[in-house]
Amino acid sequence: MKPLVLGLFIALGFSATATAQEAGTTPAILKSEAIPAVMEKAVENFIRPGYHRFRDRSATLEADMHALCAGPSAEALDKARVAFDKTVAAWSTVEIVRVGPVIEANRFERILFYPDRKSTGLKQVQAILARPDESATSVETLKDKSVAMQGLGALEFVLFGTGSETLPKDQQGFPCRYGAAIAGNLVRLGNELADEWDKEGGIKDAWKHPGPDNPVFRDGREAITALLGILVHGAEAIRDQRIETFYKGADNNTFPRQAIYWRSRNTWHSVEANIEALRTLMRESGMADLLDEDSRSIVSSIDFVARSLVRVANDIDPDIEAAVADPIERTKLDFLLLNSKDLILRLGNDYGGAIGLTAGFSFSDGD
Amino acid sequence: MRKPGLIDRRSFVKAAGAAFLATLSPRALFALERSDAVYASGFRSPNGEFGIGLVAEDGTFIDRIALPDRVHGLGHSPATGLSVAFARRPGTFAVIFDARKRSEPIIIAAPDNRHFFGHGQFSPDGRLLYASENDFDAIRGMIGVYDATDGFRRVGEFPAHGIGTHDMTVSDDGRFLIIANGGIETHPDFGRTKLNLDHMEPSLVIADAATGALIEKHVMPRELSQLSTRHLDVAENGRVWFACQYEGPRNDTPPLVGHFARGEALAFVSLPQDITAGLANYVGAIAVNRRDGLVGLTSPKGGLAVTLEARSGTVVSTAAVADAAGIAPALSGFAVSSYDGHFQTTQSPLAWDQHILRIS
Repeated sequence: MKPLVLGLFIALGFSATATAQEAGTTPAILKSEAIPAVMEKAVENFIRPGYHRFRDRSATLEADMHALCAGPSAEALDKARVAFDKTVAAWSTVEIVRVGPVIEANRFERILFYPDRKSTGLKQVQAILARPDESATSVETLKDKSVAMQGLGALEFVLFGTGSETLPKDQQGFPCRYGAAIAGNLVRLGNELADEWDKEGGIKDAWKHPGPDNPVFRDGREAITALLGILVHGAEAIRDQRIETFYKGADNNTFPRQAIYWRSRNTWHSVEANIEALRTLMRESGMADLLDEDSRSIVSSIDFVARSLVRVANDIDPDIEAAVADPIERTKLDFLLLNSKDLILRLGNDYGGAIGLTAGFSFSDGD
Repeated sequence: MRKPGLIDRRSFVKAAGAAFLATLSPRALFALERSDAVYASGFRSPNGEFGIGLVAEDGTFIDRIALPDRVHGLGHSPATGLSVAFARRPGTFAVIFDARKRSEPIIIAAPDNRHFFGHGQFSPDGRLLYASENDFDAIRGMIGVYDATDGFRRVGEFPAHGIGTHDMTVSDDGRFLIIANGGIETHPDFGRTKLNLDHMEPSLVIADAATGALIEKHVMPRELSQLSTRHLDVAENGRVWFACQYEGPRNDTPPLVGHFARGEALAFVSLPQDITAGLANYVGAIAVNRRDGLVGLTSPKGGLAVTLEARSGTVVSTAAVADAAGIAPALSGFAVSSYDGHFQTTQSPLAWDQHILRIS
């Protein structure tokens, strides 16, 4: 297996960082004057539209859930499931932003409680479906319950898990009303996030204008470190939290039912959205503008690796249980593990070093 | 007066023996013979490999130990000559090594459902190793106890009496564990993501080293609840010096360094405004030079190294050091390293990690 795996490694040569340091070239100097424009584009072209889209898709999902509860049918269930898929896609895009208001008040975990190695969320959702509790059918009271039973994972079980076959039959059944409340809770959280990022004088301005009195970034270096952090941590999360949760390489046990969104077969759609989000943020924020002309190929190399990951992820069986059991599919999973690591290094070391973050991004968090 | 048990360079060379010295390059041997101190620190080389570097007083490379991943905090036992380096959180390995290479390195692993937080220390007699660990499912810090006389077998654990435990050390008489609980909840499932920045619980703890029982716990005042107490060192008189990283608004200027002794309340050092600003709300490492009565601080985010007089807390000197990383007592003042390979007057083609251990 190993020679095949190695053969799947994308041959782009040695990392730019290593090459530059070994050659003794002059370290890059951070283009501080160009950073505010990059931050502005990151906020206006990626972060704010991302939260708006998640809010809007959640609103459609909530409406479709209420329609399903009021008029249950196979068509209504299909429509709600499609709305769920679109909400997952919207969240899987903006979820790479793991800083700012989303990590306050446990918003991130409320929207998506994952990984859930001990199946805490599943057990709680199963319990409430077995013993209906009306307080779970209202957003106002659901939001005060365990975070594990108020987000996308819980709604996926309602729509795709055991018992979902009753949804097209039972009018105003408990599972459907619970699902509608979860969707309503996602709308609530989407509104909060959009509002926080839309607010004048709030975080969007702090991100756009680093300075001595700024509550988030004192200077451009701190700001661009945080922006690059979104990309590096986003790439790390794809490998550590999205793939290695169920597949850790050829010689290890597999846990297909730990894969994110496996019930709705959205695993690879979500991973694809994560990777596309990294590409979009890098492109739309103009992060290449912080590089010297002769090192801009770093960005195209990163994009090449990211596109390769998307291509392979799209080609893997959405039935995760089948995927991990098939040797050919496993080579694709190996490809994702190997090249997602390469993506992390290219972002943190190559790009970070080339824009003038001295030792590269990944070394800058002293701990 | 140097820290108890620190051996001088001649003793180090003598104990290392001819076999070790024969492995050194002429340049490294020359540096070692001229150096009055030997230090160890984690590093990452340009090709992405990790290890522990052994360097002379001026930063000249003497030797290295290759490792599978990045290490962070280190400890040393003058009684046995052994040192330890812990994987950076949420890492699960620690390596115990003899810098003089009289024995092979020993790798130990954190048990299931625990990971190392990156710091630890030996008991003064060298018979036990204490390590800060994360009981991540229970969201509580722990102190793992390992038996140095039995291959560093894990023989027990104590609660750290807080969450987000980071640095820890042992009192000179071995009776007390001194623990910095950063107050930040993390879980390996979420990498290094900080999960509770809006409800942190930082604290400094003194616990009984024999039983783990809580002796005293200092919780940050309410207005400083986002002041993460991360690193500490102990002065000759037993006074504990601690350094903090602030997770609140960037334009706040909280105190970043303080001290306390057993039975006393915390006292923060009031630094001049430009020094506080220069530390960028982030002190990455702290060290006490007992002989000189000094306390050293580094801030990689602010690119600053600061030396304080321990007795008064007044600033003795500052130095601009881009990406300032580790700090440890030198023969006079402090040795300082940086992420971009500086160690005192030497530049190496690698990135030093956040902490330096002085071995001799």
